[in-house]
Amino acid sequence: MATGTDQVVGFGLVTVSLIIFAYYTAWVILLPFIDSQHVIHKYFLPRAYAIIIPLAAGLLLLLFVGLFITYVMLKSQRVAKKAQ
Amino acid sequence: MTKLAQWLWALALLGSAWAALTMGALGLELPSSCQEVLWPLPAYLLVSAGCYALGTVGYRLATFHDCEDAARELQDQIVEARADLARRGLRF
Repeated sequence: MATGTDQVVGFGLVTVSLIIFAYYTAWVILLPFIDSQHVIHKYFLPRAYAIIIPLAAGLLLLLFVGLFITYVMLKSQRVAKKAQ
Repeated sequence: MTKLAQWLWALALLGSAWAALTMGALGLELPSSCQEVLWPLPAYLLVSAGCYALGTVGYRLATFHDCEDAARELQDQIVEARADLARRGLRF
C-alpha cells in the first residue's frame, strides 16, 4: 500500500468526489420528485445554480490550464533565448 | 469507423434525443418533474464523469504499492550513470 501523504490525499480525493456526486445527484435527480413543501429543499440552492456552478468551475479550470501553459511556454522561450 | 467517429456519432445521437425531448419537439406531454430532471442532464453527466475521474485518480493514488527497493536501486543507478557520463566528458 502507498504510505503517508499519498494515502491521505488519495482517500481525501475519493471522499470529496463522493460528496460532490451525492449532493449533485440529490439536487438534480431526486429533488424534483420531492414535495416542494418538504424541509429538505432548504439545504439546496435554486435549481439554476446546478448549471451555473459547474459551468463557472469548468471555465475557471480552462483558465488555469491556459495560464499554466502560457507560463511554461514563456519560461521555455526565455531559457532558449538565454542559451543563444 | 474510428473511435472518434463512434464517440461523435453517439454524442450527436444522445444530444439530439435530449434536445428533442427538452423542447417538446416530439409532442410528448412529460410530467413537469420529469422535465425538471431532463434539462440539466448533460451538465449532470459531465459532473458525474468528472467525479468518477477524480475518485479513480484518488483511489489509485492511495492504493499504489510503494517499491522501496526499486527506488533505492534506481537512485544508485542514477548516481552511477552521472559519474560514468561525467567521466566521458558530458557536462551537467
